[in-house]
Amino acid sequence: MNANLLILPVLIPLSGAAVALLLRRARRVQADWTLGTMLTSLVVSVLLLWDVWQNGRALVLQSGGWPAPFGISLVGDLLALVMVVMSQLVISMGILYALGCKDSVAQYPFFYPLFLTLGVGLTGAFLTGDIFNLFVFAELLVISGTVLTAVSDDKYGTEAAYKYFYISLLAATFLLLAVGSLYVSYGTLNMADLAARIRVDASQPLLPYAVGFLMAAFMIKGAAFPFHFWQPDFHTAAPTPVHAVLSSVVVKLGIYGFLRMTTLLFIEQTPAIQAILIVAGIAGIFYGGLGATGTYDAKRMLAYSTMGQLGFILVGIGWGTPLSIAAAIVFAFNHSLIKAAMLMLAGTVASRASVKSAAYSVVTGLGRKLPFVGVLFFIGSLGLAGIPPTNGFISKMLLFRSGIEAESYLPLALMGVGSAITLVYTMRAFRKIWWEEPVPGIKFKPAGDVVLAPTLLLLLVLALGIWAEPLVQLALDTSTWLADYGLYVTAVVGN
Amino acid sequence: MELLTALSIGLLTAVGIFQMLRRNLIRSAIGLIILANAVNLFLLSTGAYAGTDPAYVNETITGQRSDALPQALILTAIVISMGGTAFVLSMLYIISSRYKTSDMDKVEGLKY
Repeated sequence: MNANLLILPVLIPLSGAAVALLLRRARRVQADWTLGTMLTSLVVSVLLLWDVWQNGRALVLQSGGWPAPFGISLVGDLLALVMVVMSQLVISMGILYALGCKDSVAQYPFFYPLFLTLGVGLTGAFLTGDIFNLFVFAELLVISGTVLTAVSDDKYGTEAAYKYFYISLLAATFLLLAVGSLYVSYGTLNMADLAARIRVDASQPLLPYAVGFLMAAFMIKGAAFPFHFWQPDFHTAAPTPVHAVLSSVVVKLGIYGFLRMTTLLFIEQTPAIQAILIVAGIAGIFYGGLGATGTYDAKRMLAYSTMGQLGFILVGIGWGTPLSIAAAIVFAFNHSLIKAAMLMLAGTVASRASVKSAAYSVVTGLGRKLPFVGVLFFIGSLGLAGIPPTNGFISKMLLFRSGIEAESYLPLALMGVGSAITLVYTMRAFRKIWWEEPVPGIKFKPAGDVVLAPTLLLLLVLALGIWAEPLVQLALDTSTWLADYGLYVTAVVGN
Repeated sequence: MELLTALSIGLLTAVGIFQMLRRNLIRSAIGLIILANAVNLFLLSTGAYAGTDPAYVNETITGQRSDALPQALILTAIVISMGGTAFVLSMLYIISSRYKTSDMDKVEGLKY
């Protein structure tokens, strides 16, 4: 396939956002246009992924025709394209949910264009092969996400958005410090070129600092344990369709960054990074799990749960064997689908409550009138806890198998306990909403959000649980590709 | 010149971090702006800034030239941080007019 097509997953949503801005007076047209744009982009990315997977060779676009170390390269290798397909799938479903959403924020004329630029930022950050360009796309992502949260129906939206934006600007300064340190040491910003040069001379004095700054930046983006504190507040206050995207795919930018750091950029520092990731991951599993168990709000419970589930992925990256990296990729993909669906279901319940909130004090017992949503929520809970026949089981099984192979038994045991906590908190939410008697005098709205998007996502969850082979094979091929950094380097800069 | 640049970057970073840790919301926002500028100065210093001859103008000029790439980078970074600053201040305005205070400890809607 022509490498120029690699620009399309970035270009389609970006130009779609520009057109959507012009359509702001016709809300319905604007919403349909946005969904169509995102779905087109998703189809293109799936085709690109298919092509790269079948030919076993990365697509590289040297933008503007400038050869690799000088211009900005877009690199569509398997990892980047898997991440792109995952995020565009969830963002399409988020837009579909927003179409049937009763939140007044969905009537905001800039809601859909901002949703598209969120997609642009995320896709671009995954596809770019230039570390400064990564910073630019990440900022686009952060600003879109923050505005979408600041206009939320939740009265604390602005406060939460401020908190997140402040932390994100701090992360951006860390990323810039890393960019500066790497540039002054190696004179290049192209990740492939950088990787090749770091292999030749790893004794530059600023290199360890660059690793540290980059770690901090990605840990903030990925809500990893010591840098997690903004995450539950920010995610809970976001409107449901935005929350579903933020809590599932946006945090995966940190995961992507760690995968690139450990497999491509810093081979010499990789053992240290991996050790930190295992500790941070285990701490995140427990902190997120216990936070989710102790919380009073279904959406906040799921936000904490994201922190816990990301911990599993971080441990997978930390083990660093080919199988565990494949498991981390499968886990990231599956978790995105499950978490987005669960959040949409919690949002559906909240949309029926008297005040728009998923706090247990207002939604207890509401589920009795929504049996279908209850069935879906139960399937999602099984997925989150990793029980067959959902895809959560596949990801947990792969991860635990890779842990046994890596002979890392203490983290394995702790992760087993963490998995049990997952079941506790999802079942607690299920019991509160669908099992208990409604609080006397509680109001129930007759109409709420449409459950089409979470239904589709959960069908995919079940499908990937029963027929998991293609995704697992894809992840194994990806980790085989990642195992040799030279493949990435030669694909981008030649020899 | 190197010493002066290093000292000013260090000073700006120190002031920025100190202000970021203040309880006053506005002071902490200003601290972030100062820190962003310190980082921009750091990026500028990664190129040879003592260039005396223009780059990419004439092949025959062989004197010391500045690296043009970090300058392009900070131009982008400045624009982004300016947009970010404007956005931070506008959100700050909404928050402080809602809570009628700029004390961080009194802005506690999310503190359960």
